[in-house]
Amino acid sequence: MSTATLEPGLPVEIGKIDRELGKLWEDSGDTKTRASLINLAIYTENAEQVVANTELISQIATEHACRALLIYANREASESQAKAWISAHCHLAGKGERQVCSEQITFQLDGSTVDSLPSIVFSHLDSDLPLCFWWQGDFRAKLDRELWSWIDRLIFDSADWENPVDQFKLVHEIEALDGGRTVVCDLNWTRLLGTRFALAQLFDHSCVLSRLREIRRLTIATNHRTTGLLLLGWIAAQSKWKHQMLMGKEFFLTPEGEHVDFVIDVAPGADISLCRFECTKSSFEISREAGSDYFHAKLSGTEACETPMLISAGKSQLADILVMVLSRGLKHPMYTKALAAIEPLL
Amino acid sequence: MPDTTNDVNPFREGLSSRPLPAPCAVIIFGATGDLTHRKLVPALYNLAAEGALPPAVSVVGFARREKTDEVFREELEEAARKFSRQKINDELWSSFASSVFYHRSEFDNLEGYEALSKRLDELDAQRGTRGNRLFYLSAGPDQFPVILENLRKSGLNESKEGSWSRVIVEKPFGTDLPTAQILNNLVDEAFSEGDTYRIDHYLGKETAQNIMVLRFANAIFEHLWNAKYIHHVQITASEPLGVEGRAGYYDKSGALRDMVQNHLLQLLCLTAMEPPSGLDADSIRDEKVKVLKSLRPITGDNVRKYVVRSQYGAGAINGKRVAAYRDEQNVNPESVTETYVALQVNIDNWRWAGVPFFVRVGKRLPKAGTEIAIHFKGAPPVLFNAEGETIDDNVLVIRIQPDEGISLRMSAKMPGSSLRIEPVKMDFHYGTSFTKATPEAYERLLLDAMSGDATLFARRDEVEEAWKFVDALHEAWAQNDEDLTFYSAGTWGPTEADELLKRSGATWRRL
Repeated sequence: MSTATLEPGLPVEIGKIDRELGKLWEDSGDTKTRASLINLAIYTENAEQVVANTELISQIATEHACRALLIYANREASESQAKAWISAHCHLAGKGERQVCSEQITFQLDGSTVDSLPSIVFSHLDSDLPLCFWWQGDFRAKLDRELWSWIDRLIFDSADWENPVDQFKLVHEIEALDGGRTVVCDLNWTRLLGTRFALAQLFDHSCVLSRLREIRRLTIATNHRTTGLLLLGWIAAQSKWKHQMLMGKEFFLTPEGEHVDFVIDVAPGADISLCRFECTKSSFEISREAGSDYFHAKLSGTEACETPMLISAGKSQLADILVMVLSRGLKHPMYTKALAAIEPLL
Repeated sequence: MPDTTNDVNPFREGLSSRPLPAPCAVIIFGATGDLTHRKLVPALYNLAAEGALPPAVSVVGFARREKTDEVFREELEEAARKFSRQKINDELWSSFASSVFYHRSEFDNLEGYEALSKRLDELDAQRGTRGNRLFYLSAGPDQFPVILENLRKSGLNESKEGSWSRVIVEKPFGTDLPTAQILNNLVDEAFSEGDTYRIDHYLGKETAQNIMVLRFANAIFEHLWNAKYIHHVQITASEPLGVEGRAGYYDKSGALRDMVQNHLLQLLCLTAMEPPSGLDADSIRDEKVKVLKSLRPITGDNVRKYVVRSQYGAGAINGKRVAAYRDEQNVNPESVTETYVALQVNIDNWRWAGVPFFVRVGKRLPKAGTEIAIHFKGAPPVLFNAEGETIDDNVLVIRIQPDEGISLRMSAKMPGSSLRIEPVKMDFHYGTSFTKATPEAYERLLLDAMSGDATLFARRDEVEEAWKFVDALHEAWAQNDEDLTFYSAGTWGPTEADELLKRSGATWRRL
């Protein structure tokens, strides 16, 4: 159980952060163990996010020990100044013999001090550990090469973007900065993992897989258009469907030259509440009630195969998704393929 | 190569870094037994809860007792609620239970297998499992021959085109080399080696799997992993428990057969093997077999020199008096079965020439723990290690259980104006760095068998080579039991075991 406070913590002078952190551990004696597997920096320009992010770090730290740098940038502030706080997120580990703690350093950068973001980040990293940087909100057109090229994993959430075309363009530019070393992690893609697993399991069923080529219509119900589009892109890429537009009508073309129509319904509810495939004589779908942890799989018009199935929907809380992102260190080639498949639809 | 359905189901591509299990029917022989209730069904449920089990999987219990699907499901639910590491979710259990079936038959009744075959065909059609079958031999080992024979006679062992048929065999894989060979021949007649999965749950433990990662993903260790730098290796499996209701089996088996032949020799192989040419099952198992073939046989008089066997007498564990082994229920009062064994194993190959591997296992020892300790040679006798000074050698410890982790002992200067060197420990705890709940070994192993990945299962030649080594010790013991010593429960074993290490200038690690 986490014992973290949701305050930014103990105010400290920026030049004395390391010394103050050292004191924090000295004062705790042998009862606490500092642990860290990564540096996790979170950048926000929304003051209200500071508390939410602190809570999120507290949750993540129970599964993924880290040094967290939480940066709140207030570009519009009239006065230019930088403030810092330190805190620790501790939880009982193992059989409860000891507390394991992750450090958090919170920065508030006002006015022009926002420009010193790279140096603030670089001087407070836990050495030798990878830097995962979660940029909350929109990327800026003017890229700071010094900052981006240092990042091992760049995290963002394309579900939050109002203009995904421009934002994805900037992501590609960041990716290219350091020879593609930076791993790009879209939380919007990660939150689809449970749905993708569920669909893969649905298609494991021999009755469903045998009808893959007969699909003529796909309906996806989602709470964010880009989430639905990414799922559509993945299904299209894996099925080798190509996007087409004819007389203003958009559809996909199968390798056999058949048309597949699609609908993306955006409505409040689960990230993906329905994914239905319709063939000429049969249909199959996974659907999820709001708040449920499972998809119900349904096969219709397939005679003997109509066994109902309950499939795990995976985790969908933000903290769980972030932990998944932090745990999966590799690049995401399927994401790149999925994105390419729906680029004209963004 | 692991069998996956990636090539047919395009939506599986890139979903996981490990092969994904294919939908199949899991048929458990001995379905009313303890293992099914305590381990197998909770493991399958946990896999379902994590979304790792294909929902189309069906579980068919095969046993002699009369009962319906419903009764079987109720019994399993009760057990799962007790033994599952995750809390039972009613909605998921209800869905999982609907995929569980009971098939009553005597093990020696061919008609029962033929009826099973028909039932599996029906389930395949309903659930889309494509004729994939995983047979789990969880019945008593004396039933294995008749089950295997009837699987063969009924054609259940044969896979249809595009599907597979596999068998998981629980230990013990025989009681010596001849019985292991007989069992292996029986398995061979029904299933190919590639479809045979001999389960050793030690290999399913995360830390056992991490031995290879530690060795071959960290360049710093492999350079030191040889006779030039390593003085000796200690492999320990200790437990405070006694025979705990297993007396009937244990009194015939003893520590050597129960633990050394399988678990500890597997750990030794992972520690001593050469880097495999690949991470596929056969590349790894080839290297393990090479280690087993390089073990210097211990025969004749050398058995007394290199092996210590002992039995616990009365004593105390955690302040509580416990009876002597011979006074335990169902144990022969004149039993000469060893509850403790320590041995010096020499590996006659280029890498390990002259490096003794000390292996010990025992019951009624003060503490539970399984670990591998690599003791490095000391620094040259100059400077801080000059004559008269005693500096502890470096020790790398891989803790398998409990508190899985890795620690490195080294020397450091104590703060102060005088030069005083003390041993310090760098300690990595899995539980601290990775707080994610570790899956049970059976979860991993069932998943691997469904995915066709045999890496963590023992191959026939591994099992037989291990028996060859162990049989020689038993043969010598059978000639003469005068070397059996006794130790008090709650102590670290007989003094003779200490002498074994003393000859090499070593002492047992204190756990």
